[in-house]
Amino acid sequence: MIELAGIERTFRVGDEVVHALRAVDLSLADGEYAAVMGPSGSGKSTLLNILGLLDRPDAGSYRLDGIETTTLPEERRARLRRERIGFVFQAFHLIPRLSAFENVELPLVLAGVAPRVRRERVRQSLASVGLTPRAAHRPDQLSGGQRQRVAIARATVMAPGLILADEPTGNLDRASGEEVVEALEALNRQGMTLVVVTHDPALGDRARRRVQMDDGAVLAD
Amino acid sequence: MRSGDVIGGALRALTAHGARSWLTLLAVAFGSAAVVLLSSLGEGARRYVLEEFTQLGTHLLIVLPGRNETAGGAPPLLGETPRDLTLQDALAMLRSVHVQQVAPIAVGQAPVSAEGREREVTILGTTADFLDVRHLSVASGRFLPSGDPERAMPYAVVGQTLAEALFGNASPVGRRVRIGDRRFRIIGVLSSSGVSMGDNLADLAIVPVASAQALFDNPGLFRVLVQARGRQGLDRAAEDLRRIVRERHEGEDDVTVITQDAILGTFDRILGALTLAVAGIAAISLVVAGILIMNVMLVSVSQRTAEVGLLKALGARQRDVMALFLTEAFLLAGAGTVAGVVLAYLGVWLVNMHLQAFHLSIPLWAPLAATLVALAAGLVFGLLPARRASRLDPVTALTGR
Ligand SMILES: Nc1ncnc2c1ncn2[C@@H]1O[C@H](COP(=O)(O)OP(=O)(O)OP(=O)(O)O)[C@@H](O)[C@H]1O
Ligand SMILES: [Mg+2]
Repeated sequence: MIELAGIERTFRVGDEVVHALRAVDLSLADGEYAAVMGPSGSGKSTLLNILGLLDRPDAGSYRLDGIETTTLPEERRARLRRERIGFVFQAFHLIPRLSAFENVELPLVLAGVAPRVRRERVRQSLASVGLTPRAAHRPDQLSGGQRQRVAIARATVMAPGLILADEPTGNLDRASGEEVVEALEALNRQGMTLVVVTHDPALGDRARRRVQMDDGAVLAD
Repeated sequence: MRSGDVIGGALRALTAHGARSWLTLLAVAFGSAAVVLLSSLGEGARRYVLEEFTQLGTHLLIVLPGRNETAGGAPPLLGETPRDLTLQDALAMLRSVHVQQVAPIAVGQAPVSAEGREREVTILGTTADFLDVRHLSVASGRFLPSGDPERAMPYAVVGQTLAEALFGNASPVGRRVRIGDRRFRIIGVLSSSGVSMGDNLADLAIVPVASAQALFDNPGLFRVLVQARGRQGLDRAAEDLRRIVRERHEGEDDVTVITQDAILGTFDRILGALTLAVAGIAAISLVVAGILIMNVMLVSVSQRTAEVGLLKALGARQRDVMALFLTEAFLLAGAGTVAGVVLAYLGVWLVNMHLQAFHLSIPLWAPLAATLVALAAGLVFGLLPARRASRLDPVTALTGR
């Protein structure tokens, strides 16, 4: 359960103040599938970063599963990110020197999970995105779509309740974009809350809920 | 994070930037090797000197004419010249019950000639006891006879270099030579060769002390070597020597008595300090290597900014990131110093295979100190880059803003 109320986020660039988010109120129920849409610079990524606890709002309240997160110390927020939230980025952000398997394993390593337990969970995650045969490949040996599916496997390996995807198909052609979207929607069907930022109206139409943004504010819902 | 994963992760990051890591490792290795090698040089010198002295015998006393200013007492009055140490003074030393043998020594330079060849060498005047006191032996013939030391006898014992210079391969024993304006007969050749305590024992002629005094027309002795009876008697023997000379010199304390322990102790201290000093200077190169580690780590942090952002997005805490980067610096320093110490041991072994008298010797503290300094440098200089990485803002790091 996500509850945003009166979220403000401003950036100071020189003398200018940019209002990236203005008085944003938003509630997302568990298991929801929402697409965040809007023109470039409207604050979609900023909203997603705040939802993912990567960024703190300047004002307002953000309750995640009933916990007020804006006042939590960084250590607790890192823990919530580790256990409750999975990220999928437009640029994949895989570590180039690590194999697909090791990239997926990373959240488990950071969480201090024992190696034997890790192996089984990574295998399942990779299997769920259909990449079992590619486990030993490094990112530069994979196609864009495959890389993004590795990133999805990594985002889900800790079984988080919330998946945040910022233009996950932005760097992909239509066919591999379709595969990625299907992988994400499959997660949503298993009960994970899914928030996707996208420019693509076709992709936005597939979501059950559309959040329209403009100039830092939520226009329509 | 588990510590095994931290080390594994750091290792993966290091091997991914092979050349950079190897070069840094090399710098640390050379620094560590320098510390160990230089201190082995100092320690080798210390041992060499100690051994040389012990060869002289452990209960040796040396009596020098003239007062040792540093020994305290009233400064000599103006115009006073130290009294000569004479042969009679030396012989009187035998009166002490703590003295076993006495070898008076008079020295000078003189040309030695035979069969048309001539060579300018050191002439050493002494008595039969010299052979024992200095632990020498003769290769052929015999040493000076033990008779009345005050009688000048025309006998000479020569070193091997001198013997060859004058007579080639022929045996010199029994031949006649001219030393200065006097004639001598060679009665023996010293077997010991090489340099000992600064004397070249191969290139000299030894004659009875009275002959040398007559030759150089100088009744003063260069020094007197005294062999004490046992190590315990050393201090009492020194006391006796001073007293005997004082009595003979009308109450003047005008000789210096040096015990071997005193010389040994002084050399030990000087060379020990020297070893520490060179090791310290070498340790500076380790600090330089540490700065190199910092530089490499800073480059690494700025190149891996997005990676740090990702780790944070995946839930890494500040201290996880810190641990990862610090471990990298620590591993570089650790592997480097281990390689350096191994290199140094190998180097010392190789060098020692080709040296005879002098040996490099690694003091136990040297590899320990090198390792500790290297690890400390790695930690200290790794701290700044690690902190920088751990404090990166995840959003800016990820977007590369
Ligand atoms: N770190 C920052 N410093 C300064 N300004 C920022 C920063 N982050 C975002 N902004 C500004 O905030 C506004 C919203 O940015 P944001 O990245 O959320 O837009 P977006 O909707 O994701 O756009 P796009 O579709 O192009 O990704 C923009 O005007 C942007 O310039
Ligand atoms: Mg964006």
